Amino acid sequence: MAKPLAGLRIADFTVHNAGPFCTHLLSQLGAEVIKIESAMRPDAFRKPHPVYGRMGPATFDQVASTKLSVRINLKKPEGIALAKRIVGLSDVAAESFRPGVMGRLGLGYDVLKAVKPDIVMLSVSSSGQSGPDSHFAGYAPLFGAWGGLGALTGYEDGPPVEIRHVMDHTVGMNAAMAVMAALHRRRATGRGTHLDVAARDVASSLVGEALLLAAAGGAPGRMGNAHARMAPHGVYPASGEDRWIAIAVAGDAQWHALAQAMGRPELSADPRFATAAARNDNQAALDEAVAAWTSTQDANAAAETLQAHGIAAHASWTTPELAGDAHLRARKAIVDVVEPDGTVRAAVGVPMRLSKGADVGIHRGTPKLGEHEDHVYGELLGMDRAERRRLEEAEIIY
Amino acid sequence: MSEEEIRPLAGLRVVAHASGVAAAYAARLLGVLGARVLLAEPPEGSALRREPPFLPGQDGGESGMSALFAYLAAGMDSEVFDLAGGQDHARLAARLGEADVFIDDTPLADRAALGLDEAAVAGRHPDLIHVSVLPFGASGPKAGWTGEDLIVQHASGEGNLLPNGLAVEMFPDRPPLKIFGHFGTMQGGIAAALGALSALWARPGCGGQYVDISSQDAGLAVGAFAIQRLGDGSIEHRVERSFRYGGVIPCADGHVELLTLEQRQWDGLVDLLGRPDWALDPALGDPLERSRQGPMINGHIRAWAAVRKVDDIVDAGQKLGVPLARYKTPEEILADPQCRHRGLFQPVVVAGAGVLDVLVSPFHFDGASLALAGGPPALGESRREAEKVEG
Repeated sequence: MAKPLAGLRIADFTVHNAGPFCTHLLSQLGAEVIKIESAMRPDAFRKPHPVYGRMGPATFDQVASTKLSVRINLKKPEGIALAKRIVGLSDVAAESFRPGVMGRLGLGYDVLKAVKPDIVMLSVSSSGQSGPDSHFAGYAPLFGAWGGLGALTGYEDGPPVEIRHVMDHTVGMNAAMAVMAALHRRRATGRGTHLDVAARDVASSLVGEALLLAAAGGAPGRMGNAHARMAPHGVYPASGEDRWIAIAVAGDAQWHALAQAMGRPELSADPRFATAAARNDNQAALDEAVAAWTSTQDANAAAETLQAHGIAAHASWTTPELAGDAHLRARKAIVDVVEPDGTVRAAVGVPMRLSKGADVGIHRGTPKLGEHEDHVYGELLGMDRAERRRLEEAEIIY
Repeated sequence: MSEEEIRPLAGLRVVAHASGVAAAYAARLLGVLGARVLLAEPPEGSALRREPPFLPGQDGGESGMSALFAYLAAGMDSEVFDLAGGQDHARLAARLGEADVFIDDTPLADRAALGLDEAAVAGRHPDLIHVSVLPFGASGPKAGWTGEDLIVQHASGEGNLLPNGLAVEMFPDRPPLKIFGHFGTMQGGIAAALGALSALWARPGCGGQYVDISSQDAGLAVGAFAIQRLGDGSIEHRVERSFRYGGVIPCADGHVELLTLEQRQWDGLVDLLGRPDWALDPALGDPLERSRQGPMINGHIRAWAAVRKVDDIVDAGQKLGVPLARYKTPEEILADPQCRHRGLFQPVVVAGAGVLDVLVSPFHFDGASLALAGGPPALGESRREAEKVEG
């Protein structure tokens, strides 16, 4: 059996991270994603990133793998015509330029709809396709800032915190989900859609309860690692350099279990900690008692002990710990991929397991620029060698 | 276009047996897209109803309505099932018989006793999409582990990588910091909604199936670049993960985010700063040199910004193509002209707290915002039942 989205095809014009992550997820679920790019404006993963240790093009990338690659020069009218031919064979056209760019290229929704009446067009942008801020340029940290997630994250007495690429990818996962909703409507009604996803609104949607509290006259604010109900609830030092364990005590039963696990049964009877409200009122003393125990413990061993007692706990994991974890590997959330030179490296799969069909996830690495033109131009569009050569010489396929 | 026409999932029926954020958020996402969502609750109500903070009441006191529950359950119906008491199994089965999607976050160990294990549900409802949503998933060595949002964020990597930039400069010895609210568990919810719709897409060919969602997996997926960079040869750490200049910049009346990744953006920033001598050093034309001199550059930027107002900086900077954004408070977002233009909020009745603006969705379909079907339901309140009576 095939992957769940087998048979769907996506013309992928997306750039940067949020849009490409959306189509990357859909490709792992079985959609055929045709990444449209060019040598003139190579994608970010084709450039060096010395700050992060990559001195040349990516040999593997988390937003492009499993996609097909074709070259099209969108600066030329024949390039636009070629792009439209791909859209004509697609279910979805995805883009993440600034609002207005697709229209100026001659690839706006009205045009694509004329090419393929039931096309689902996805536009991902920082602030949406309309409104006074729609022209704003933005990256992940700006989405978080505009949307409230950045201002609400931080130590109570500290500044806001910059939300990094998790913001981009959250936008991408939301967009993938909304694309599926649009496709279901198309299946039910035969109608396509222009789907407009605003990244800053995604950031706001992740703090919707705080926005509602503010709308009612409340005053949400930064609260570090604290929780309005649970205590202890924090990240505590473990033995070793820069080692930490996160612990969240959901109620009285878990508190009594924690006191036992720490070898401090007398704390169970301490009136300062007898109820959730009392524990919240005496957080400093409570955290001191917990930290005194955790700082003598190995973070992973302590988490296992606490989980065995029914207490929510986990070591604060570093990236190498994630990459090597048996649980994540058993779930194929972490998989090994092989680079062109035979090097094996860890990669992150699509976050779900399905009981039917072929295994979802990465089944091909980062494509070379134009690697799949035989399939797309030859097999799908039926172009012969001579036509393709002419377009290459005219720098249309370029 | 009628409201029904723009609701993409009109006609879809979802039953959510949710005591946590991840499962409830998955149901909310499907609901705002047009699905009819029934929240199946125990006699005492979902635990989410008891999660503080509570909304201020119209009488000046506390309303008793959880802000979290009100946000997550807006537009849902509620029906009470006493499954633990051994009752109501047949009624739930009848509801599942009418549903397309069942979302459940019952701990694995408790499912069989409630008749909610994978095999039992599949046996009774072969066309149902059964979505399991747990902190660590329903399979693998940690399937039985429990976790709150804090735990999920630290088990999936991002927790260890925050804070960065200004906050870690100010407090280098403090513990790592979680993202506000329910960021980690909401990732599980988003993945669950995506999984449900993907499985539904395949249903005509293969029937119903079981979708196993782990919030840890979902958090890892959105943090995938850390794993990618590990493969590229670098291990990220919160102290070094900052952009070398820019980031969170304190201003006279708040904070601004500044991020210049491209040369033209740097050039715009130099103009914004008034082309000071230090910024005109030819060596700073090289982005790697700028990274090396990041602390010096940031010193100048911070001194310049400290005596200026956020809006003045953002207005001037955006005209010069410099990516800048105010760190907006919830109050500012509620009043924001862009959010108002987008229809990001919808006034709905929230029992005890009045008519309040509730965030709808970040999606527009064909130029129109979506709509909530209503506020959060009282325990056992069903619009469907009300409609039957009225009908």
